[in-house]
Amino acid sequence: MSDQAVSTEGTALIGGAERRSARSLGALFLPLLAAAALLAPVPLWLGDSRVLMGVALLGLAFACYTIGFNLIFGSTGQLFLCVGALAGIGGYGAVLLADRQGVPLLVSILLATVAAGLVGGLLSWIAVRRSLGVIFTGIITLIFALAFQNLLLGRGDLTGGESGLRIQSGSDSFLGDRILSYYAMLTLVLLFLLVHGLLRRSHFGWGFRALRDDEVAAELTGVNVARYRVIAALVGGAMLGLAGAVYAFSRGRISPSTFAFAQVDVVVLVMLAFGGIGTLLGPILGAIVFTIIDELLVELGQLRLVALGALILVLFLWVPRGIIPSLGSVFRKDH
Amino acid sequence: MPTLELRDVGKSYGGLPAVDGVSIGADDGEILAIVGPNGAGKSTLLKLIVGLEPATKGTIVFDGEDLTNYPPHRIRQRGIALVQQTPRAFPSMNVLENVALAALFGRANAHRDEEKALARAGEALEFVGLADRRFDHVGNLNLHQQRFLALARAVAGDPRVLLLDEVMAGLNDAELATSISIVRAIRDLRHITVIWVEHVMKAVMSLAERVVVLNFGKVLTQGLPQDVMRDPAVVEAYLGETSQSA
Repeated sequence: MSDQAVSTEGTALIGGAERRSARSLGALFLPLLAAAALLAPVPLWLGDSRVLMGVALLGLAFACYTIGFNLIFGSTGQLFLCVGALAGIGGYGAVLLADRQGVPLLVSILLATVAAGLVGGLLSWIAVRRSLGVIFTGIITLIFALAFQNLLLGRGDLTGGESGLRIQSGSDSFLGDRILSYYAMLTLVLLFLLVHGLLRRSHFGWGFRALRDDEVAAELTGVNVARYRVIAALVGGAMLGLAGAVYAFSRGRISPSTFAFAQVDVVVLVMLAFGGIGTLLGPILGAIVFTIIDELLVELGQLRLVALGALILVLFLWVPRGIIPSLGSVFRKDH
Repeated sequence: MPTLELRDVGKSYGGLPAVDGVSIGADDGEILAIVGPNGAGKSTLLKLIVGLEPATKGTIVFDGEDLTNYPPHRIRQRGIALVQQTPRAFPSMNVLENVALAALFGRANAHRDEEKALARAGEALEFVGLADRRFDHVGNLNLHQQRFLALARAVAGDPRVLLLDEVMAGLNDAELATSISIVRAIRDLRHITVIWVEHVMKAVMSLAERVVVLNFGKVLTQGLPQDVMRDPAVVEAYLGETSQSA
């Protein structure tokens, strides 16, 4: 291999950027097919266990959340600490529309998805208009997440308060079946990966990379940084809302803790950092690995969180950029 | 009518004027140099033109359109590009991709055609002599090459006006000669108006067709380089010191 070819490959993998020769449709669909092939047989192994299928469903929901968060944070540097809240808008919104207002299931999911997307876009627009940096964006979105939690608890007449809601709608649909709901959630994971992959291949991908590298230089090069950020938040917010809604109907019960900051955002951050921020497959890898680890550690009881924390510490010291970029580095060294 | 015209443009920081009522214009295809001592407001003036800083007074008119306080990306898409003294490259992209980005979002590529952008980037790298480095990481380029990369990025976006902010500072004689020939070629072959802030007077005298002298944010004088050089006030206040250092 010539020196030039080596350097091409080297630079092209930096920051999750794809090598130009690898930007074909095949290069996009191959990882999707691999993910589908890996995850599709899961019900064959776990289908008899309601508990383990519930864990698998939760893992896929977290994969969806992490992909949505990766689009917003990994691609455009907006630290949205309201992943759970946006998913909650989707979950609670769809459930309330379907159960209380009698809106058809799919329409309620669609409306809740749009609402979550619009809220995500609005938060981004505020951050862009006020020129908020990463930290202040994190603070205002965290405040939003806490306010959303308080709203759920405060409007107990609608939301069921702390004990939450038992969902009636959808129980007689495919989402009421644990196998079919698993495949519905898996379809969402693949759809979200496809959307993110297509965005990365388009001029959005170029714009995202540029603004992530140097926002001012991107503007001076003609990239409308504000527009790209708001679009990423709109799409990412809609992903979170849709995943939250589908997960709610699949699970049959939701409560404020289903979408709480500690239960969702912290886990999603860890999954993404582990898999690789800004990479296409990092979110799904992080979600799969941490769901399995979390389940394996169940027998430790209260020590589970301690063991999990120690494991995270070791992993971050060992692979600070995440697994996917680290594997990319190893691959480049080998070639 | 000038291609780019600044009418009574001003910028103050905390009440202190950095640029104070500057009115100048650059004609189509002209190479206009802006000189003056440190703190005269030269770089601030360029930042006002490209929208990096909002003007506190006056208007900036380009091809008859008032661009005052437009965001930088809109100004770039209208056809005004800036090359800064310390080039800002995109570290996640190789040399070719850095330039292709500018071509993708530039004036002539409204449809964001990636193939077209990459082809145009290749041409721009050829133009500045970096074609053989196209697959290198930008961190492997020295300062001189990074400035050429920035020039290639500017040219790839198909600008009508090119703003250069002290791009020849710190170059040796050979690098200076190459830089001068590239800037001249940009103007001659692509008919781009060049507005150029510079301290290296040797380069200014060799390349500029007109010189504007700024002092304390105001225009002190303007005219042909040799006339400005002979102006006793200019020589006394600025050029005596800078021509020695150049």
